[in-house]
Amino acid sequence: MTAGAWICLLAPLAGAVLITLLGGTISRRTAGWVSTLSVFAGFGGAVTAFVGLVDREADEREVVTSAWTWLGSGGFSVDLSLLVDPLSATMMLIVTGVGGLIILYSVGYMDGDDEERRYFAYMSLFVFSMLLLVQAGNFLLLLAGWGLVGLASYLLIGFWHQRPEAVAAAKKAFVMNAFGDATMALAFFVLIWQVGSLDFVAAFEGAGELSDTAVNLVALGLLGGAVAKSAQIPIHTWLPDAMEGPTPVSALIHAATMVTAGVYLIVRAHPIFELAPDVADLAAGLGTITLLVAGFVALVQVDIKRVIAYSTMSQIGYMFLGAGLGAYGNGMFHLMTHAFFKALLFMAAGLVIHHLAGEQDMRRMGGLRRAMPRTFLAFLIGALALAGMPPLSGFFSKDAILASALASGSYGQLLFVGGAIGALLTGIYTFRMLFIVFLGEPSPLVREHADGHGRREGPWTMTVPVALLAVLAVIGGWVQLAGIWHPFADWLDPIALEREHLALVEPTVTQDYVASAIAVGLGLVGIGIAWMFYGARARPVPRWSAVQTTLEHKLWFDELYDAIFYRPAVFLTRLLRRNVEEPLIGGSIQGVTLGAREAGGAVGEAQTGYLREYALAIAGAVAILVVVFVAVQ
Amino acid sequence: MQGPDIAWYLVVAAFLFSIGAAGVLLRRSPLIVLLSLEIMLNAANLALISFARLHGDHDGQVFALAVMAVAASEVVVGLGLIVAVARRHIDLDVDRLRVLRG
Repeated sequence: MTAGAWICLLAPLAGAVLITLLGGTISRRTAGWVSTLSVFAGFGGAVTAFVGLVDREADEREVVTSAWTWLGSGGFSVDLSLLVDPLSATMMLIVTGVGGLIILYSVGYMDGDDEERRYFAYMSLFVFSMLLLVQAGNFLLLLAGWGLVGLASYLLIGFWHQRPEAVAAAKKAFVMNAFGDATMALAFFVLIWQVGSLDFVAAFEGAGELSDTAVNLVALGLLGGAVAKSAQIPIHTWLPDAMEGPTPVSALIHAATMVTAGVYLIVRAHPIFELAPDVADLAAGLGTITLLVAGFVALVQVDIKRVIAYSTMSQIGYMFLGAGLGAYGNGMFHLMTHAFFKALLFMAAGLVIHHLAGEQDMRRMGGLRRAMPRTFLAFLIGALALAGMPPLSGFFSKDAILASALASGSYGQLLFVGGAIGALLTGIYTFRMLFIVFLGEPSPLVREHADGHGRREGPWTMTVPVALLAVLAVIGGWVQLAGIWHPFADWLDPIALEREHLALVEPTVTQDYVASAIAVGLGLVGIGIAWMFYGARARPVPRWSAVQTTLEHKLWFDELYDAIFYRPAVFLTRLLRRNVEEPLIGGSIQGVTLGAREAGGAVGEAQTGYLREYALAIAGAVAILVVVFVAVQ
Repeated sequence: MQGPDIAWYLVVAAFLFSIGAAGVLLRRSPLIVLLSLEIMLNAANLALISFARLHGDHDGQVFALAVMAVAASEVVVGLGLIVAVARRHIDLDVDRLRVLRG
C-alpha cells in the first residue's frame, strides 16, 4: 500500500525526467506516450493504495511512510514522508485518473507543435507536483508541492512563449500564487515557533493550546494560500488570463491539479479552521462572493475558454462555501464531480477549437451541432452536469453543499441565497455558451471548416478521453444520494481525527429536498432564460451599457490592482532610481572604478619594457641598500 | 704559503662585477647581456672564495659551487630563449623586445 503511494508519486516525476534526459533521441509522439504512461502508472499506484486502505478497518486508515529525515535543526525535524489516508487517496485517484486522461488527450491536441517534448515533460511535472502536495505527510512538504505546482503552472501557461500575452499571463499567475505561498509560509513560521512541529497530527494537537490570535493568524495564512491557489476573490484575476495556455493545460489546471488545492488544504487543515471559526466563515463568505461575481462576469465573456474558466471559479466558490461551513465531505464530493465535468467541458471545447483551427471567439462560432454531433453530446452532458441537472453528477454534489448551507444557521442561509442565485447564473451562462456555439445556423467560419479537414471530430486520443469523462460526468455523482446513501462522506470520516463524523453540519432530509428543488428549479429557469435569448432568439439580448462594460472589465479588478499595486510600485521604483540609485550608488561605484583605473595607468607608466631600465633599477636599489646598511652600522 | 692581501681579490671581484653590470646595462645583444651576467656571477664567486679563505672554512666554496650550478641552468634557459627568438626571425635586440611595457 505504501509502495503504491510511492509509485503514484514518483512515476510522473520519472516520466518528466526521462523525457528531459532522452531529449531529441525520442520522437515527439513517444514523449507524449511516456508522459501518459507515467501518469497512468501513478494511477495504478493510487488504486493500489486505495484498495489497501479499503481493506483496513475505518479507524486504521491512516498510514505515514517516511523515506528519510529531510530537514533537521535542533529539536525540529521534518521527514520526507507521505500520508496515505482517505482524503489523500481520493485526491491521488482524481489527480492521476483525470490527469492521465487529459495528457492522453494532449497527444492528439498538441500533435504537430514544435516543442511537444517540453510540453509533456512539464505536464508530468505538474501532475507530480500536485501529487506531492496531496500526499505530503507534513506542512513543509505540502508547501514544497504547493510551490512546484505554481512553477509548473507558470511553465505551462507560458508554454507558447512567442506570444507576449501568454508570457504576461504566466507571470501574473506566478506572482499572485507567490503571494499565497508567502502567507502560507508565514502561517508555518507561526506553527514552528508556537508548536514546534509541522507534522499534521502534532500541529493539529498543538494548535488546540495556542492563543486565539495565533490560531487566527495560522488559519488566515493558510486561507491566503488556499485563496490564491484556488483563484478566489480577491486573488482570482490570474485564472481567466491563464487561458492563454494550451487547452489541455487549462483542463489540467481546472480539473485535476492546481485550483482544487485550496479546497484540499482547507479540508486537510480542518482542525485549525475549526479552532478559528471566524476565518472558516470568511472562507465560506469569500467562496460565495466569488461564485456570484464569477457567475455574473461569465454572462458576457465571448471567449469560450474564459466562460469555462469563470465557471471553474464559480464552482470552486461552492467548494469553499461547503468546506468553510464544515461540510468537508460535500466540498470534496463536489471537487471530484467537478473534476469530471470540467475536464469534459474543457476537452470538448478543445475539440471545437481544434476543429476551427485555434479560434476561441464564440461570436465567430455557431451551428456546430451538425458538424460535430458527438462533441455536442459531450458538451451537453458537461453543461447539464455543471448546471446541476439530475441525474448528472453536478446535481448531487452541488445540492449537497447548498443543503449544508441551509443547515448552518442564519449566516449559512444567507450564503445559501448566494449559492442559489449562483445556480441560476450557472444555468444561464453555461447554456448561453452551448446555444451560441452549437445551435443556430452555421457561421461563415464553421462552414469554412465544415469538412473537418477529413479528420472527423478528432483523433481517437482526443475522443476517447472525452467519451470516458462524459460517462464519469453522468455517473460520478451516484456514489452519494443526499440523505439516503452517503458512502463518500463515510469514507472521509476517519480524517476527522477525534470526531465520529467529519462534517460539522448534517442537513435534514427536508433541507436536502428543499435545496435540491430550489437549485434545480433555478437552474432550469436559467436554462430557459438562455434559451429565450440565445437558443430560440425570441427576444433581443438586453443591453445595459454600464452593466455590460463593468462585466466585460471583470468588475474592474485588474484596473483596481493596477492602480493600487502596480502604478505606485513603478512610481516608487522610478523615484528611487532617479534619486538614489543613479547619483548615490551608481556615482560612488563609478568614482571608485575611475580612481582605480587612473592609479593603474600611473603605475603602468613605470613598466617601459626596456630590460636595461629594470636592471638599473635593481642595481640602484641594491646600491642604496648597501649605503643604508653601511651608514646604519 | 702567502699570497696577495684579501683586499686585492675583492678589488678584482668588484672590477669584474662592474664590467658585467655595465655590459648588462649598455649592450643590446641578448647574447652579450647573457655573457655579462656570467661575468657578474663569477665576480661574486671570486668574492665568496676570497672570504672563505679569509675565514678559513669551506662555506663560501660551497656557495660558489651552488652559484655555478645555477649559472649553468640559467645559461641553458637563456640560450634557449635566444634561439627561440632567433628562429622567429625577430631581431636579437633587447630594446625591441619590449612587449611587456605598461
